[in-house]
Amino acid sequence: MNISKIANLKFFFTNTKNLSRFLGLFTFILFFFGIYWGLYVAPSDYLQGESYRIMYLHVPAAWLSLQVYMFMAITGFVSLVWKVKIMEIISIQCAPIGAYFTLIALVTGMVWGKPTWGTYWVWDARLTSELILLFLYIGVIALYSAFSDKRQAVKITSLLAIVGLVNIPIIHYSVEWWNTLHQGPSVTKFEQPSMHISMLLPLLYMFLVFNVYFIAVLIKRVQLGIYNREKRSKWMEDYLSD
Amino acid sequence: MEEVLNNLEISIDRASCFKGNNMVFENISYSVKNNEMMLIMGPNGCGKTTFIKSICGIQKLESGSIKLNSIDINSDSSEHLNNILYIGHKNSLNNDLTVFENLEYLCAFDKSVSNILEQEIKKSLEYFGIAKFKNYLVSKISEGNKKKASLARLLLSNKKIWLLDEPLSFIDSEGNTKILDLFNKHINNSGLIILSSHIDISKDVTNTKKYYMENS
Amino acid sequence: MLRKIIYKEFKSYFRNLNSVFLPLIFFFLIISIFPLLIGPDKNLLNKIIPGIVWITVIFTTLLSSSNFFKDEYNNGFLETYLTSETSIELILFLKIILCWIFTCLPIIFFIPIVSIFFDIPLKNSFVILFTLIIGSPILVSIGIFGSSLTLGIPKNNVLVPVITLPFYIPILIFSASAIESVSSGLPYEMQLYILMALLCFVLPIMPYLLKYTLTLSINN
Repeated sequence: MNISKIANLKFFFTNTKNLSRFLGLFTFILFFFGIYWGLYVAPSDYLQGESYRIMYLHVPAAWLSLQVYMFMAITGFVSLVWKVKIMEIISIQCAPIGAYFTLIALVTGMVWGKPTWGTYWVWDARLTSELILLFLYIGVIALYSAFSDKRQAVKITSLLAIVGLVNIPIIHYSVEWWNTLHQGPSVTKFEQPSMHISMLLPLLYMFLVFNVYFIAVLIKRVQLGIYNREKRSKWMEDYLSD
Repeated sequence: MEEVLNNLEISIDRASCFKGNNMVFENISYSVKNNEMMLIMGPNGCGKTTFIKSICGIQKLESGSIKLNSIDINSDSSEHLNNILYIGHKNSLNNDLTVFENLEYLCAFDKSVSNILEQEIKKSLEYFGIAKFKNYLVSKISEGNKKKASLARLLLSNKKIWLLDEPLSFIDSEGNTKILDLFNKHINNSGLIILSSHIDISKDVTNTKKYYMENS
Repeated sequence: MLRKIIYKEFKSYFRNLNSVFLPLIFFFLIISIFPLLIGPDKNLLNKIIPGIVWITVIFTTLLSSSNFFKDEYNNGFLETYLTSETSIELILFLKIILCWIFTCLPIIFFIPIVSIFFDIPLKNSFVILFTLIIGSPILVSIGIFGSSLTLGIPKNNVLVPVITLPFYIPILIFSASAIESVSSGLPYEMQLYILMALLCFVLPIMPYLLKYTLTLSINN
């Protein structure tokens, strides 16, 4: 058994405990400011009124949902090619987080849709491709959980994630194209062509907060993943008994 | 046709293999040469099948190396498959084809068989006494006969290294002696055999090295 | 050797003609259930028939490709493929093509009859035919890829559709819109070209991808 590989996992497990705690607290504070900025300080939209403010949750969640998928596929690729154990765990632990982000984006999109479109769901290009992204995440999670041998599972699901990553642009553009073909009631887009800086800044800030949150949760989940994989190994027993 | 090597040596160096988090085998170091047979014995579930699979490269090792003539079999340049005939404990016979068609098809994958003649397949089936099942669908014949049919590949192939997983299961005593004869002939013909078995055949075949695997 | 592989595949398909005919019957059953569900209104049926045809093709291809490697995994043939010195990519490519020939080609042959049942104009039914000829090989190869991913799982009946259906979406969008365009008198060539591009992208890389997945799957 390769020493450096164990050391890698062990190093991560034993050294990130305080970091994730700190990041969690940090996210909480940042999030509080972001909500305040977005919901009170930022001016209201002249077209949509106050209802646009949900985009401070919706847009970062939607961005993150794509970003996490990309991250998952790339770490999966690294784990397949260079056989880095920690990457296997990081890759698979991204899937549920990404799925939650997708779900948040969908639900907030629906809540925003009610006052804007008059209905919760419209087959709008963005919402539809977000929904398909959710299915892709579900596929990855379902495939992973169907295997009893989890290391085998990680390899196979990384492959699925990589193929999915290649497919996401194709899916996205085909859905966009499909949407322009069937001009529905949804010509309104979230991002206005020129968003005022006082609205844009809190959005970028929230994007940053979501990223910090993602890292905090990821570290926590990776620790859990390492624990599940290594709970019978000697260093883990030694570490926990200390 | 690929060049068939005459001096062969498989050296296994501290090979370890994991399935999931469970260790299958650890730190196996061994080496086998021409005119030798490595007999792997051990209780059920001790990893004999996995070990044999890792020698032909379809099971990846966690650490350690397996080399054929000092070329690692997992490296890209390895041509070990040109020399290895692997017959697993699954028969790799297609149920929808007849015994004859199956053997013909399997030989199509084997480059050491230059041109397969109907006569040769028939002869190999006759050797095991199953020539009368030649045109039977594989799904219609018994387990033992399936095993014999898959072992008939040993007579057809010209490869020097045989990797056999449980070749003696399901086989009657008459078939047993025929297979052992075959092993002896192959060993004397500067061949190399690695096989797993529950029966100790080390006395029946010349130059046998026994290897016990323990449950880990 | 190629001749032998094709010969063998043909033989095993012909000995199991059920596996060729039953998907076809299944296809007709599903198609004829739709009018029973939504009523025999001709205009409505004409509008949704492309969708129906494609949904049915999806079901049929999933049915035949979701357990594609199961037999060869169980009887050890995959190990023989992977331990043979011959190139397995070519074999996999042939297997995809043959699977398409035996599951999708019969359906494509029967599209004219479906067109008669639903009174589809000749030009439209030609476009349906084209989209099927170009699109269904992609569906089959993606389905086979899904089945190779789930080899190590004993019960994978619903898993393969769940994994593969999202990947079908672009193909479905373009073929459905080609059919719709032609029925409303718009140009439809672009969609066919995009489908063709997708086919040219998927088919050549699929054997390599499959080989990699199979080596991963067998390694367990």
